[in-house]
Amino acid sequence: MERENNDFLVRMVNIHKWFGRVYALRGVDFEVRRGETVGLIGDNGAGKSTLIKILSGYHHADQGEIYFEGQRVSIRSPRDARGLGIETVYQEQALAPNLSISRNIFMGREPLRRLGLIDKKVMDEESMQALANLGLKLRSPDVPVVTLSGGERQGVAIARALHFKAKLVILDEPTVALSVKEVEEVLEFIRQLQREKVSVIFITHNLYHAFDIAERFVVMARGKKMADVKKEDTSPQGLSDLVLKSAFVAE
Amino acid sequence: MERLIQFLRRRAASTFLVFVGLVLIFAFLSPRYVFVHSRNIAALGKLFPDLGIVTLGIGMLMICGEFDLSVASVLPFCAYIFARTLYAGLAPSWGLFFALLVGAALGWFNGFLTVKTRMPSFITTLGTLMFWRGVLYIWSKLMPLGIRQYIPSGSLFEKVLTGTVFGFFPVQSLWFTLFAILLGILLHYHRFGNWVYATGDNRDAARAMGINTDWVKTACFIIVGVLCGFSACMQSVRIGSFAATQGINFELRAIAACVVGGTSLRGEIGSMSGVVLGALTIPILDNGLVLLRVPVMGISAFIGLATILFVLLNTYVERRFR
Repeated sequence: MERENNDFLVRMVNIHKWFGRVYALRGVDFEVRRGETVGLIGDNGAGKSTLIKILSGYHHADQGEIYFEGQRVSIRSPRDARGLGIETVYQEQALAPNLSISRNIFMGREPLRRLGLIDKKVMDEESMQALANLGLKLRSPDVPVVTLSGGERQGVAIARALHFKAKLVILDEPTVALSVKEVEEVLEFIRQLQREKVSVIFITHNLYHAFDIAERFVVMARGKKMADVKKEDTSPQGLSDLVLKSAFVAE
Repeated sequence: MERLIQFLRRRAASTFLVFVGLVLIFAFLSPRYVFVHSRNIAALGKLFPDLGIVTLGIGMLMICGEFDLSVASVLPFCAYIFARTLYAGLAPSWGLFFALLVGAALGWFNGFLTVKTRMPSFITTLGTLMFWRGVLYIWSKLMPLGIRQYIPSGSLFEKVLTGTVFGFFPVQSLWFTLFAILLGILLHYHRFGNWVYATGDNRDAARAMGINTDWVKTACFIIVGVLCGFSACMQSVRIGSFAATQGINFELRAIAACVVGGTSLRGEIGSMSGVVLGALTIPILDNGLVLLRVPVMGISAFIGLATILFVLLNTYVERRFR
């Protein structure tokens, strides 16, 4: 058990969460190994978002434990989560659209000169470098994020995670509302994360995108974990059946 | 040409052009060019910073996505604290200190109320606007308090707050400039400014990046409160008394000035240079129209019209050139 513990980057044990009278999570166990990509799938209201929001410090579990790198941790705020190296790329929630690319990448972690003044030169150079590392060529670090395409925006958020040496990146529906080409771009960004041995939790409705990228799948329904399968033991069709079946079993 | 388009792309660029236009029009059309007479400029420079300094803070607060309507009662409240401190026999600098302190406290309370209750600040500060006004009216019994005897003209305190340099240029304008530069640096070059923009632009993202958005908002409210305190003292010294009517209508005029300067009502967009421009444009319009013999009673109509036209112009030009 001790030895096994070390393989896990993060381990959530018996997580319960109520929202008023709604029993949102009913004793969920969830873990991610170092460098592993896990697809978290399930219907709307299955509890996927609640689970990862507990991990990223937005919600607090009413019961249950979280272990990070073998240590019991208490994640009380997004700041705590970032301190551990957990970076979240939420759909439409990761970036400030009217701020420039570099200001977004360094949001909350601005490189400073004296007196808290921002070192813009360092910020701009490192931003362009971080984007280039991801294979993303953008014109200038000064353009507002709102002018970028959907895929590029995800790229900026992922570049930020990579630049700050995140150990775990949580992607919440990163491919929603993207064109086919942009989806391929985003999946390529995720492959870059995998090459850098970053653990990834990939939440999606689209089983094909999940199947393409993840090594293991966790299916949730009605606040419970219904299945936990490895990629080699299933197929997109198999996953689809699992999601459907889980939804009915959970009724 | 390229440069011109670059310039026009900036928000509030058209406000700047209209501002220059207004100055020229008033300069040439006012009888005997009285608009650009040093006496008129001195009078303007003495009067506009009362509201202008408050406007600077409101601009920053609006960029982080909040309003403060309570300035119109925080300001006279601070003025009353200032006068009371003088009547208690303390030195004027203590009066200034307590006015700033109370301003900060009332600003903090606005922020606390807004972030804790999660109500729109339009509502919370509407509440505190009326609340503090009521408290002030009861406490002061609406009686003016003369303070000339405590701050004789020619005293150092009076010179620092309301004196002149080069024989005619009012110190108030220098204070306005100083605050504008300080807040401009804070907003555009300091990390705090980045947090202000991020908070106004996407609060969830800012929180996810570890920015304490509640703290950022509260700090902006406190800045507005402190500026109200300063403006209150400056105004009191200028008129030589406390008056319960100080600051009346400042809440909406400050917002109008910010909007004219290209600040978005939804937060996130705006700049200190825009806010400065807005804070200058409205009083100049006011002053110029008076000099052109527009009936004083009707000037409000022009200001209202101008506010709407400025915003229309700014959005139109922005769409056109972006």
